[in-house]
This record gives sequence, structure tokens and C-alpha cells, in this order.
Amino acid sequence: MSSGTQPGTPAKPAVFPTMWNNKRAAFAFLAPAVAALALIGIFPTVFALVNSFRRYNLAKPRDPTPFIGLDNYLTVLYDPSFWGALGRTFMFLVTVVPIQIALGLIIALLLHKPGLSGFKLLARLSLVIPLATAPAVAGLIGRLIFNRDFGVANAVLAFVGAGPVEWLGDTTNAFIAVALMDIWQWTPFCALVLLAGLTMVPTEIEEAARLETKSRWQIVRYVQMPFLLPSVTVILILRTADILKMFDTVFTMTRGGPGAATELVSVYIQRVGFRVFDQGVASAQAIMLLILTIVLARLYVKYVYREV
Amino acid sequence: MRKKLWGAIAFAGALMTSVSAMAWTLEEAAQPYKGTNIKAIFLDRPGYAAAIKLLPEFEKKTGIKVNYEIVPYENSRERQVLDFTGGGEIDVVLTDVVWIGEFAGNGWLEPVKTFTDDAKLADPKLNLKGFFPILLESFGTWGDEVYGLPFDNYSGLLYYNKCTLQQAGFDKPPATWDELMNVYAPKLTDTANRKYAYALQSRRGETQSADSFMRVLWPFGGSLLDDKFKSNLNSAQSQAGLKFRQDLMKYMPPGIVDYDHAEAVNALAQGNVAMITEWSAFYSTLSDPSKSKITDCLAVATEPAGPAGLKPALGGFSLGVNAQSSDAKKAASWLFIQWVTSEEMAKPYIEAGGVSGRTEVYKDADIQKRYPFVAPMVASWDGGVPDFRPRFAEWPELSEVVAEWGTRMMLGNVSIEQGAQSIGARMEEILGQAGYYDGSKPLRK
Repeated sequence: MSSGTQPGTPAKPAVFPTMWNNKRAAFAFLAPAVAALALIGIFPTVFALVNSFRRYNLAKPRDPTPFIGLDNYLTVLYDPSFWGALGRTFMFLVTVVPIQIALGLIIALLLHKPGLSGFKLLARLSLVIPLATAPAVAGLIGRLIFNRDFGVANAVLAFVGAGPVEWLGDTTNAFIAVALMDIWQWTPFCALVLLAGLTMVPTEIEEAARLETKSRWQIVRYVQMPFLLPSVTVILILRTADILKMFDTVFTMTRGGPGAATELVSVYIQRVGFRVFDQGVASAQAIMLLILTIVLARLYVKYVYREV
Repeated sequence: MRKKLWGAIAFAGALMTSVSAMAWTLEEAAQPYKGTNIKAIFLDRPGYAAAIKLLPEFEKKTGIKVNYEIVPYENSRERQVLDFTGGGEIDVVLTDVVWIGEFAGNGWLEPVKTFTDDAKLADPKLNLKGFFPILLESFGTWGDEVYGLPFDNYSGLLYYNKCTLQQAGFDKPPATWDELMNVYAPKLTDTANRKYAYALQSRRGETQSADSFMRVLWPFGGSLLDDKFKSNLNSAQSQAGLKFRQDLMKYMPPGIVDYDHAEAVNALAQGNVAMITEWSAFYSTLSDPSKSKITDCLAVATEPAGPAGLKPALGGFSLGVNAQSSDAKKAASWLFIQWVTSEEMAKPYIEAGGVSGRTEVYKDADIQKRYPFVAPMVASWDGGVPDFRPRFAEWPELSEVVAEWGTRMMLGNVSIEQGAQSIGARMEEILGQAGYYDGSKPLRK
């Protein structure tokens, strides 16, 4: 009675308590994830942002750490080594990503074909192996594969009567060797994402297209490709972010050498941040890289992504 | 009467000294710290494996538990600096010769005096003068204060395959760098069969800057810096050394710029190169039949001399105590360091695969006979350069510059002169910012 409802009349839905309960439930579910993200993602980013405006060298604990405005950013802008490393990173990006997408597409199309389900399951599982390999381990494996004297790469070349090739001691070949390791590790990722995209194509449309044309390419180009564009966008965004922060494989495989041949931008930032310990400049570099990643992601979404 | 009095005083003094000397034992000194856990940073190198073999004896005697973490050399400074700045867990600090200025200058290391002044902790037989002076000065001392005791000690040595040399008509190793390149190398290089006279580990990193670049400066009379801390790389002597390295590359395996210690040692161990200049610590690897094919042909000598004489590479590590550790952990750490670097433990340490920094042990005829690297190593330490690499806090930053441009020079991407100029300009910029040119920092290296 205290609620004021009359007997026999239907009770009004308790809107506010339900919303409150829903909010509480949502909060309870989201809070741990948000807290974890804040702790390991947002806080370090904000900390890096603050550091990027300070003179701050970890190895000089007695020096003051004043705010110096945009000095660290200007240092980065006028640093030819940073631009060299960034240029090398883009060269790496435009070398490996198209190859990974092309190979990934071929693998995905093969796995998408009907039949041989047991074999395909095995193939899908084996695609996960490179992905499950730690990048640092991939770099160490790469060091063995491309060893001049006893590496598998030169053994294969010797089998066809070529080589031996000086892989890791030559500037161009070292770049190629690191690229090959990246292609080995990340092509399966592209294949799996594209395979997921192919499953989005309605079977009736695919079957109708097969009745219309026998050209495999035309089916890929006009029927399957529109459904793959969201997957390609995802691959471009993730692989770009990955390559811009790629460190472990390169460091264990070549340490950025010989010379600066494989010094990608993250290897350079690690040098500044953890060899020189200049946290101010390294943070400015990292923030600039973050901005670049966001801009590229927006460009990919704008120019590549299409709703079917 | 007076004579008798002095005699009595002298006798009493001697008695007290001997009693106090007899009274000090490790077990008793460690009694208050029984059950204390301390943490050390070790590398994956023979000297540390040797210490690990000896650890149970220390732990049994003292009840102090020594935990250790093995880290790759390239990460070891980063690991420790982050620990110092973040307030961490390391008690026994591993200090490379080139980090002493940074670690001690920042107050991260406890001066040894803290412990040697404490009669309860100082072993009367410590004998700091029993270390090779060059080692204690280079690895352990900064600004006249001792911060660490030499533990893992290296001198650059010439390791060679005497069988290969004999087959080429040489019954002794080259005495000079000039002889190595112009007399020995042509006869020992057979590129068709992938056999090379010499390998100089030159991979980017400290290997390039310390093992490769600096190694060719000193013997030719050159140096990185002059007395005013300006670049000396474009002096005639430094240029001669760097040019020599470039010329010598035709007798080295292709891809030498990617050779680290492991590759250079392995190239000699597998019989692919006839000579290498490597640290004394690698003798145990090269003389191990499970890792080396040339154990019967292995021979060791001092590094070849240059126009400026014998100036071998100098490297190594001291062990010190973290100034931020608790008093109990500091004391326990000191007892461990004092014990593992003691004269008493020098022989067991060598027998376990380490290289002691104590002078006395190398006078032992048995040690001299069993370890052929001892005589050339002692000769090298007697005539070495204490500041083979500058030990100030800016070295890691300079090392990065030298490593990058040093490999570029070797690859022929830049000329020797251009490379030296680039390094010099960057180096002076770093040292200028650090305050060496405006008098705000003393010129100490």
C-alpha cells in the first residue's frame, strides 16, 4: 500500500530502480576491465605525455626535472636518426604488409574452398604456431635460420646451387631477413582474419556468382572482396601499430644493425629510453608515434573500409 | 727497563693483532645475518657459472642465501638502473668497468670503506693491495674511493690455432698487428675454402665499440678523447688504427659486422679462423672439448703490439653493495663479495672456470701450468690502459654513437674520416651537454 498502487490495477514498471540495477550490473562487469586498462594503458600513456614535456633522465637522478615546454618535441623533429628510423619503418611496412595480405588471402581462399575438412582443420591449427611464438624467440630463430655457415636459409640456397648469402652482415640482406621473419610470423594472422571475412559472404550469393562466371578472380574481386574490406582494414590498422612498435624480433636478430640497416623506430626509441635513459625525449618520440598510429588508422578507415 | 717495556708493548700489540686476526671467522661474522636473503645480478658467462658452483660452500658456512638472476649483458645495465631508480631488490651490484662512474657518481654504490672500517665485517686478510692495481682502479674505484671488488676480470688475449699456424710455416704467433696483417694473414686466408686468418667481433653494441673500435685505437697511439675531452678520432694515430681495421677486414670472415663474442669464439673453435683477440674469460670455452674442435691446437699469447706498444683491451666487472639495501642485506652482501673475491677463494674460483683478479694466485706454478692463458694475461694487466674505455657516466651514450658509426665505417657506408668526424661531433655534443666544457664537471674518465 505504501507504494500507492491500487489493487487490481497493473503495477507500473519500476523504471528507475531497474535502470539503477542495470547500471550497477554494467558497472560491476566493466569496472575490472576499465581499472586494468587505466592501470596498464591510460596511466602510463598520461605519464609518458607528462614526461614528454619535462627534462627527465633516469640515469641522472640528481638533476632537476623541470617542465621545458616543447623542447623534447623539437629535439625529435631535428633528429636525423629519428627520421631515418621512421623512414626505415615505413619502408618495412610497405614491404611486408602487402606480401602478408596477398599470401594471407591465398591461404584463406584455399581454406575456404569446400572439402578436405580434416586437412583444413590441421592447416588452421598449424597457422596458430607462428602467432604463438614470442617475437623475441622468432628473432633468435631468425638468427639461426640466416646464419651464414650453418643456417637453413643458406642450406636451401645451396640445394638449388646458389649462395652462400651473407644475410645478417649485409645491410640490404639483413633488412630482407628481418622482413622474411615478420612475414613468416604474421601471414597466418592475415590468413585467419581474411578467412573470417570470407565466412561472412552469404553462400547463396557465392553460389549464384559461380553460376554466372567461371573466373575465380572475378568472384574474388566482385563478390568476396567487398566482404573482405573490413578485414583488410583491421589487418592494416593492427599491422601498422605492430610494426611501429616492433622491437623484440629486431633486437634479438640484428640489434638494429649492421650499421643502422634494421634500426626501426621502436629500436631507436628503446636506445634513447633505456640506453641513454632520456625519458623526456623517448616519451616525446613515443607520443609522436602514437599520434601517427591514430592518424594512419583514421586514414585506413576513411579510404579502405567500406560497409557491404 | 725501557727496552723491556717497549718489548712488552710490542709483544702485546702483536698478540692482540694475531688474536683479532684469529678471532675473525666468516661463520661468526655472518652469525647475525643467518637466514638473510640477498639478490645478485649475474651474466651467462664462465666467471658467474664458477661463482654459482662455489655458492653452496658460502651458504653452508654463513646461512646467508644468495639468490641470483642471470641476465644478458646487453640488458644488465638497464635492469640495474631501473632497479636503482625504482627502489628494487638487487643487493649485490654488478658493475662493468664502464659503469663505475655512473653507479658510484649517482650514489647507487656503498663505498667499500663502510665495511672495511667495521671490524666485525672486515676480514683481516682482505688485502685490497692483493688485487692487480689496474683492475681495482678500473672496475672498483671512482674518484679515489673504492666501491667494488674485481670479480669477473678480462684482458684481451690473442687466441690462435697453433696447428694451422705451423702448417703455414709459423712457429709462433704474430708479435705485432703489422706482422699479423702483412705476414701471417695472407698465408692463413683461403677464401675459396672459407678459411680466414682472423676474426674481430664487431657486432653493433658494446661489442663494436669496446671490442672492435677501441681495440684498434690504443695500439696505434690513438684514443677516443684528448686531454680536454675533445674528440681525438681525427688525429693521425687514431685514423691509422681505424684504417688498419678496415684493411684487415679482407682477411676476416664476411659478415664480421654481425659477429658477437659467441660467433668469433665459435669460428676459432670450429677451425674456420686461425686467430681471434678475445677476453681471457673465453679460455674455458675454447679449451672445452664439447664446445671446441681445436683443444689440442689451442694456444694463447698477448694481443699483438702496435706502434705504441702493447695496449690490450681491458674489461671486467666488480661486485659492489647497493647503497639502498637494508643494513642487514648490505652486510650479508659484503660478506659474500669479500669471500668470493678473496685470496683464499682465488684458486677454487679459477678451477671452477673463473678468472680471479688476485695477483698471488697466478704465482702458483700449478695454476701457471694448467692455465696457459695466465702468463699473457698477467703481462697484459701489468701493461694495460686503465681507461681503455672512458668510465664516466656518459659512456653508454657515447658507446651507442660509436657502435652505430663504427659498423657503418666497416660496411663502407661512410669513409673513415667522415665516420670519425660524425662520432666526434656527436660525442662533443653529449659531453658539452653533460658539462665537461664549461667546468661544471671534472674531466675524470
